[in-house]
Amino acid sequence: MTAVPTPQQLPPGGYVHKEPSALRRAAPWLVAAAVITGFVVLGYFLARNMADNQKSFTIYFVERGWIRFLLFLLAASGVLALTSLIGQRIGMARTGRKISYSAVLGDQLTHLFLILVVLVAVYPLLYVLIAAFDPRNSLFAFPNFSDPNILYRTGLLPNLQVLSFENYAALFEGVTIPGWQLALAVVVGAALTALLILALMGRFGRESEGITKARTWAMRSLIAALALLVMFMVPSQFTGQSNESKFLLSVRNTLLVSGVTGFLAIVLSTTAGYAMARLRFPGRFQMLLFFIFIQMFPVFLALVAVYTLMVILGLVNTFTGLILAYSGGAIAFNTWIFKGYVESLPESLEEAAMVDGATRWQTFIQVVLPLSGGILVFIFLNQFIGTYAEFILASILMTGVDQWTVGVMLRSFTTGQFSTKWGIFSAAATLGALPIIALFYGFQGYFVGGTVSGGVKE
Amino acid sequence: MKKALTLLSLALLGSALTSQASAATLTVWTHFGGPELAWLKSQAADFTKKTGTQISLVSVPFDNIPDKFIQSAPKGQGPDVVVTLPQDRLGQLAAAGVVEPMDKYVTSRVDFDKTALTAMTYKGKLFGLPMFAESVALVYNKKLIASAPTTWPAFLAAAQKNTGNGKFGFLADLSNAYMNYGIVSAYGGYVFKNTSGTLNPKDIGLANAGAEKASGFLNDLRYKYNLVPEGVDGGAAKSAFVDGRLAMLLTGPWDIGDIKKAGIDYGIAAFPTPPGATGKWSPFVGVQGTMLNAYGKQKVAAAQFAKQISSSTAQVSFNQAGGRIPVSLSARTKLKADPVVAGFGKTISMGTPMPNIVEMGSVWGPWSAAIAQSVQKPNQNYSQILDKAVSEINSNIK
Amino acid sequence: MTTTLPLPAKRTSVPPEGTRGVLMAILVLALVLGGAALIGWLLAGLTARALPSAPPYMILVYTVAALLVLMPITGRLVPWIANWYYLFPALVFLIAFTVLPIILTVNYAFTNYSGQNSGNPDSGVRTAATLSADRTVVTLSETPEADSVQAYLRCKVATCKGDTLVLLDADASSPVRARIASVAGTAVTLSAPVAAGFALSDVTRINRIERIGLANFQEIFAKASSALWPVFLWTVIFAFSTVVINGLAGLILGILLYNKRLKGRNIYRTLLFLPWAIPAVISVQMWVALFNQQFGIVNKALGLLGIIAVPWLNDPLWAKVSILLVNLWLGFPYMMTATISALATINEDLYEAASIDGASRWQQIQSITLPLLRTAFTPILLSGFAFNFNNFGIIYLLTAGGPAQEGRESTAQSTDILLSWGYNTAFASAGGQNYSLASAIALIIFFLTLAISLVNFKAAGVFEEARK
Repeated sequence: MTAVPTPQQLPPGGYVHKEPSALRRAAPWLVAAAVITGFVVLGYFLARNMADNQKSFTIYFVERGWIRFLLFLLAASGVLALTSLIGQRIGMARTGRKISYSAVLGDQLTHLFLILVVLVAVYPLLYVLIAAFDPRNSLFAFPNFSDPNILYRTGLLPNLQVLSFENYAALFEGVTIPGWQLALAVVVGAALTALLILALMGRFGRESEGITKARTWAMRSLIAALALLVMFMVPSQFTGQSNESKFLLSVRNTLLVSGVTGFLAIVLSTTAGYAMARLRFPGRFQMLLFFIFIQMFPVFLALVAVYTLMVILGLVNTFTGLILAYSGGAIAFNTWIFKGYVESLPESLEEAAMVDGATRWQTFIQVVLPLSGGILVFIFLNQFIGTYAEFILASILMTGVDQWTVGVMLRSFTTGQFSTKWGIFSAAATLGALPIIALFYGFQGYFVGGTVSGGVKE
Repeated sequence: MKKALTLLSLALLGSALTSQASAATLTVWTHFGGPELAWLKSQAADFTKKTGTQISLVSVPFDNIPDKFIQSAPKGQGPDVVVTLPQDRLGQLAAAGVVEPMDKYVTSRVDFDKTALTAMTYKGKLFGLPMFAESVALVYNKKLIASAPTTWPAFLAAAQKNTGNGKFGFLADLSNAYMNYGIVSAYGGYVFKNTSGTLNPKDIGLANAGAEKASGFLNDLRYKYNLVPEGVDGGAAKSAFVDGRLAMLLTGPWDIGDIKKAGIDYGIAAFPTPPGATGKWSPFVGVQGTMLNAYGKQKVAAAQFAKQISSSTAQVSFNQAGGRIPVSLSARTKLKADPVVAGFGKTISMGTPMPNIVEMGSVWGPWSAAIAQSVQKPNQNYSQILDKAVSEINSNIK
Repeated sequence: MTTTLPLPAKRTSVPPEGTRGVLMAILVLALVLGGAALIGWLLAGLTARALPSAPPYMILVYTVAALLVLMPITGRLVPWIANWYYLFPALVFLIAFTVLPIILTVNYAFTNYSGQNSGNPDSGVRTAATLSADRTVVTLSETPEADSVQAYLRCKVATCKGDTLVLLDADASSPVRARIASVAGTAVTLSAPVAAGFALSDVTRINRIERIGLANFQEIFAKASSALWPVFLWTVIFAFSTVVINGLAGLILGILLYNKRLKGRNIYRTLLFLPWAIPAVISVQMWVALFNQQFGIVNKALGLLGIIAVPWLNDPLWAKVSILLVNLWLGFPYMMTATISALATINEDLYEAASIDGASRWQQIQSITLPLLRTAFTPILLSGFAFNFNNFGIIYLLTAGGPAQEGRESTAQSTDILLSWGYNTAFASAGGQNYSLASAIALIIFFLTLAISLVNFKAAGVFEEARK
């Protein structure tokens, strides 16, 4: 140990090879052993807890079905091994280069594995899609033991005989839409389609100036039309008797609340994040800690106090109150993200601007903000999505179906006094998830970039 | 940036202003949905026509009403009328002072069912006009079972005959305390001792010998008679019934709508006396009534509206809208031919009103947890589970 | 007060150093904010007098307007404060909508505030009363549920001096709180005569909110073995293992999908992105139905494999596994995306050099990919831990804390985490609206979170990074 130089003795940037100690080399094995022991113990208790379970008489049971499944996997792998071999030979013959067999087989097995993962991850969503068309408010699969098809016999495929549009019809009952809103909706639809086509063109063709320009314009008209729709849609347009007929209104409310909250999050966190990244003044570090630690208080349990505060301000049951309450909780995280982003920018740009006589504020507005488009989109989207599905605070602050957000409405379907309206829930859920899914896929790149920008720095 | 902020705050103010309600109208909170909400809207329109008072109907989820009411009423943000609240939170609402005694507004009470009036009466004051009552009953599929079994052996035979091969003889949400109180009471358990009409919160009978036997019986339904498998909750049981694979379902009037819609030929009966029980099966009777806000500025008009929607004719039309069981005696007579009213009417008259004293709030949590534990695995120490629950209830009551 | 302000003559843009600088900045900001709030309050009061229908939130508008005027002026006087103005909007928001509710909540933690003791007049024990001719003596017709007026009003002293009696007129919509001077029999003497024009009909008591010191905390720690400790343990296990499991799954899929040779990897990526894109409020409720022991699709599929029905949500231990699985489903796309984007930052040349040196694919992953991923992953894992520590949504929507477990408080069942335990205490029927106890729980959660985060931050070097 004495031979190892202390960090001070190291030459700058130098590297001295250290033989890892025995304990360090053994560490992975020790961890692995501990994990395996943990799983064995857990497995033992899990098995014990279902030891006296009997076979259920509602579940179609295949004795030793898992053996068949393993055999199927083995057979599939065997087929892949064979096709890979053929593929490798053909490839080598055609290109004349040496192709590694293990690489081809590895790719094929990766495909098999990924297909299984995708199946498991996506299949559950199918059930919600189908329940949305089931008028009987049921989300359960009942097996039909006499059916010859094993997938129906087990109930793995849902019964498609009773499907109807009743649930969707209930969501739009009595909704009146004036012509100009329809026109705006058409604009939204057209812009979306254009964006989609442009995205496909961008993927398969080459990126040209024209495509980028068209995309910007499609995006702008989409946002403008959507904002107009959201701002000028009013509760009196919804003449349906039931609560679910106000679904579209709740989507509008949610878009309004989430949109303004996302905008506020940007306004509040960019200035603070910039100051913490670039300005040096006493109290900066303490403030940073204050920002981080104050948000560790579970404000969620201070709901009664938040409610009292909103009553005092007369903002209970207003969107303003809800937006303000959301924004208060959005600051710390976004400030942290933006601070990390600004630190990754080269400081020389700002210095150059300041040498040219720009003030700090001008530098921030004219140099830093224009460079931060991506991260601002990320902050906005993150906040937007977080707010979109929130339901606890919204259900406490907002009273009356005209003010409900999507989360509150969805929750009201599943927390009736005794009954759960799964059908309506699923219909509303599939429609309500669409804007978020569209956002996710439309801005996939920003999410990918934003997730690590707080951590990865050049 | 500053300009943007100012603009933004102005825009926010605009949206805040538009959502304020004017003061000249009666605000009514309701948890009704679907056809019942439509019924309430037409009642409100009638009321406006008759008296000129506008009514603004506000939908609030059932779970949220009591808490929101307690929070908002003292701050002047509450509704004038709540349609409707069950009696089990009544004591708490009165202690928080948000509900108004209605004795001086209600002159005639002869048409109301006695049980319903008792449920709405707390500390000698009438706090709500009863609108409908509910209790669980045995709903059976006539295609699978010709007539309802009246004795336990007949019930067991009928249930077991229909159980197996993807079908069920009898299902109930065994882990739900409210649904299974009938069995607890049949064996001699009770929540609070009822001595000539007053409930004694010091005497809790949820861990006595009868309550233990009841827990044992619930456990037997699952593990000895193999009727109700694990994981069956109210929703799953209803789904099975609606799908035509269940012969008998323990449920309340709230599921009848979906059952009718599915076209199942059903009948309604009481659950038979369980084996070895000392009394008859007597389910919890929940009564829901219209209540007034103690801080309301228009109580006379509010009471008038409450009286209108609890009147005999209103209860008849309400039943036709949503199938709830009326508590007006004359309305029940008019609806005698309706099998749902007749069926549930019978179980309601057999039933025990849910306690409405403030201590009931401390009972639900521990008791529900104890019942859920009792049916989690076979052969448990019921007395230990129930004793723990009762001691927790006592410490919560203080 | 003015002496603590820096002298205007010294107008320097260099801020005072050290703690003194911080305190001075905070003082200046507090003065600006306080001044603006005062102006706002005065103006709002004036508006309310002139226009009674003006909404109460006008105080916010006036305060913001006053700030917009005061800030440049102060900036002129104390130039170095401009640095703080960047933080000011965020700071004001934090104080108004986070710090203020927190102060109120901390205050509740030492009281007996609950749905029942809400500090409002009780309408269950109203009793008729008459007023004497000089309008100071109220005679109660009876004292419901009590032998004496003292017991009825729950007086602190025998004479009830200083306690409150609530007076109601026939309409009873505007209760009047009157101070008691003394009590004799059923006659209550008030310390001031009742306003003329008030027609007394009934009286009642107030269910007071009282300070009870540390009683809430004593209750929590007295029952700690059946609530606090097991819930805390599960919260830590849940947050830790969910981060590890999700991280591993995301890492594996991310590395597989980063393989440039793999055809159709964009399709896989797009499909695997889906669970992240669907709001949790929707997908978690869907999983409740899918995990149903008898009718859920999961057990149906297991039946096809010859595995007997698993009590996913009905057994205390299995329910924990279910929560981890659903959280895996919800969370792996995020980790996968993070892995892919972190891999994209790794220089390709490194791999090339390694393969020239004859390193196998596995060796490359081990000695290039993983160490480089570690720097990118540390903050993600840390924030994931902090997020899941208080991940109320999945618990509430999937199991609501259940299934019931023997020997636990009914508000702290087998899968309850700290936050859902507090929620049950305050807002679910199981807890009986015990807001004060929930506030005490909130305070405990705050300190636990703080302690764990301090350890985490220290380990990850967040402080050093923030300080530089």
